[in-house]
Amino acid sequence: MNLSPLAKQAKILTSQVSLLALGATFELTSRYVDEMKKEIADWEEGRRVAIGVLPNGPTITILKKGDRIECLGLGSKDPVLSILFKNLDSAVMIFTGQLGAPWAVAENRVIIQGDNAQAMQVTRAMSIVQTYLFPGLILDKTFKRPPKLTPMQLATKAKIMALLTPGLIGNAMK
Amino acid sequence: MQPKYYEFFCPVKILSGRKALANLSHELTQLGAKNPLIVTDKGVAGAKLLEKVEAALNEGDMPVGGVYDNVPPDSGNRVVNEVARFYQDNGCDSIIAVGGGSVIDTAKGVNVVISEGSDDLLKFQGVDRIKATMQPFVVIPTTAGTGSEATAAAVIANQEKGMKMALVSSRLYPHVALIDPVMMLTMPAKITAATGMDALTHACEAYTCLQKNPVSDAFAASAIRLIRDNLVEAVRNGENEDTRIAMADAALLAGIAFSNSMVGIVHAMAHACGGVAHVPHGVANSILLPFGMEYNLGKVPEFLAEIAEMLCPEVDPKLSVEQKAQKAADCVRALGAQLAELSGLPLTLSEAGVKEDQLEAIAKLAIDDGSLTYNPTEATFEEVLAVLKKAY
Repeated sequence: MNLSPLAKQAKILTSQVSLLALGATFELTSRYVDEMKKEIADWEEGRRVAIGVLPNGPTITILKKGDRIECLGLGSKDPVLSILFKNLDSAVMIFTGQLGAPWAVAENRVIIQGDNAQAMQVTRAMSIVQTYLFPGLILDKTFKRPPKLTPMQLATKAKIMALLTPGLIGNAMK
Repeated sequence: MQPKYYEFFCPVKILSGRKALANLSHELTQLGAKNPLIVTDKGVAGAKLLEKVEAALNEGDMPVGGVYDNVPPDSGNRVVNEVARFYQDNGCDSIIAVGGGSVIDTAKGVNVVISEGSDDLLKFQGVDRIKATMQPFVVIPTTAGTGSEATAAAVIANQEKGMKMALVSSRLYPHVALIDPVMMLTMPAKITAATGMDALTHACEAYTCLQKNPVSDAFAASAIRLIRDNLVEAVRNGENEDTRIAMADAALLAGIAFSNSMVGIVHAMAHACGGVAHVPHGVANSILLPFGMEYNLGKVPEFLAEIAEMLCPEVDPKLSVEQKAQKAADCVRALGAQLAELSGLPLTLSEAGVKEDQLEAIAKLAIDDGSLTYNPTEATFEEVLAVLKKAY
């Protein structure tokens, strides 16, 4: 049974929007979240990381620039490290909070092209992104140790949520 | 507990037992090989084990294309690239790895570089990056611990960055693992102890980490029972062929298990101890295993309790799951102490030569190790450092 073109397009769209949201949240957390600032402090300047879906699904590239992360928009743009979901279904499971990042790796749903140590650093940063992107209910289900946010962190999360849509649209235009 | 999804793969043909070596030429012929390169180290060559391999090839009318016997204990990408050139210069068409983890992983790297038609191993670090069909590859282990003869991984030093790098791909599996006790009889007691504890660590972490599944559990459980029954005797009496075969099989089974369910915090710390303080991998695993089990006790007590039932001589069935889980760590500690008495195996990181001021660097490296992804419990830098301090 072939997947209907509409169903496939829906998965591609979900992945694309989710990746753009991920990129925007990388940017926002690197600006407002101390934990993220600390995590990326040791990344070398100019590190480019692509996150995407195989074989020809959507991909975004993020860049370490100064003390921030910048999303370069859609496409794989000369990355040193690529974290790629093997198929659309796996990507959708992650992006919709049905599966946590460690389980995606444990279930062999992801391939890594590049340095494994850098991949671990990006995975930790991605966990911070997910903390500020997903509601607590999803975090309880997908994290090995669900984060407990302080009132100050919850306020930051609200600020990031408010800035997310303009950020996402901005990244889509790049 | 049934996982929601899992994968399992092991395409290695296993020949295990007395006179297994006699089948070497036949297996190479079956693979289409005509001019194999032997990759080994000075220790194997010095122990005259290479002569046994060459004799087996000679009896089967298989020529030796070349012998590279200079693989160091912590081999790196430059060594791999050098051996690959040696392979090409000698017109070889297949690889026989004879040795322990460093030799086998180096040979895996050589096979990648040759088969991909590349000149640099670094291009293939990561997961599932290897696409080429591999050259015929036979592994003859001379230690019983690494399990690398049946795994999809190779851990090789990145000599440009001074750290260990992992290559993971189903293409890395050897075609044949040839396990003959005659290749292990001369292994010193301390190495027998350390490599045996390495195998136990593989089995225990495979049994408790995120990717565990019913198939890998079966392999891990068999390995744990074989180690329980044979490790101490193998250290006491290295010339006992039966215990040597049993331990070699245990290492193989544990290798198959962890290649599919991966390893966790113990390996993350052990890799880092190797990178920072050059602690041999088996020694580091042996020291850290009980501490790693205790770290995971709150998250997976039921799996650790099952390990206790398999590993410990007597477990009171009335104990709670948590008490049994603690018993598993206690048993590993007791086994380590017994082996220390018999062979001088270190019991703490300080005994293994780690300096206290290296612990932070080890913790920093450990949290960037891919193995930590599979650990059931999250671990931060501070938490890993606390475990290392306990083991110090």
